[in-house]
Amino acid sequence: MIVAFGFLASMSLGCALGVVLSRNVIHSALFMSGSFLGIAGFFVMLNAPALAAFQVLIYVGAVTVVILFGIMFTQRPSVSSFRTIIQRQHMPGLVVAAGLAVFLSYIVSVQEWGGQTEPGQGPQETATFGENLLGVGGPEIFGLLFQVSAVLLMVSIVAAVVISRRKTDEGG
Amino acid sequence: MNQALPIEGYLVVGALMFAIGAWGALIRRNAVVVFMCIELMINGVVLTLVAFGDYLPQAGGVGASYAVLVIAIAAAEVAVGLAIVLAVFRSRRTVNVDEANLMKW
Repeated sequence: MIVAFGFLASMSLGCALGVVLSRNVIHSALFMSGSFLGIAGFFVMLNAPALAAFQVLIYVGAVTVVILFGIMFTQRPSVSSFRTIIQRQHMPGLVVAAGLAVFLSYIVSVQEWGGQTEPGQGPQETATFGENLLGVGGPEIFGLLFQVSAVLLMVSIVAAVVISRRKTDEGG
Repeated sequence: MNQALPIEGYLVVGALMFAIGAWGALIRRNAVVVFMCIELMINGVVLTLVAFGDYLPQAGGVGASYAVLVIAIAAAEVAVGLAIVLAVFRSRRTVNVDEANLMKW
């Protein structure tokens, strides 16, 4: 358990640092998928294997491919040194991010989480997870949230098509 | 070796991931990399949600269901965001967030 936790934590956090510090944008995208795989491993450790499958399918599969397409369309061959990829205000950014990390870690460490905090309190079966998501077994608000997110997905995909469409003269 | 980990381990990993993503979103110039860093922040938050759903009895076991909704909305955000990046690149030939300052006062 501890070995798996250490491996997954180093994998996800190391790949996240790789996303930020890599000078090649393609390498950043591949590091990002590695980081998502580490998070999927955490989901398996947290008794949510169906969610881990969603994570691998949507993030490691779809989002990474979409971002690679975006990179293919928008990148010019350019010199890549740290001077050109990093903003001028990188020291204030580092200070803000380090402060955020220390603050959040301190808060979640000193907070006394009520009740007995033991793993395995969530739904163990995929069927329970699906019923919760559809608002059948668990809180009924999830039925509404599920449909709202479905409408939002459709609207956003139509918006993406409209925004990125190549404009022709007669609106074709 | 096989005893359960405390919840703080997962929460600290999620917090560090959020902070790394915030760092990248603040300092990088490429708009596509800024999107990747925002995805990292979202993943840190999702990890925190799933840890709460698995460890805290008050959560009622719905943390993973919230995580599915967050993943769906993040996918929508990536689609719209990359479409905007493509539109900006088509009109201004750059994805540098410093140079896309048309709407800056």
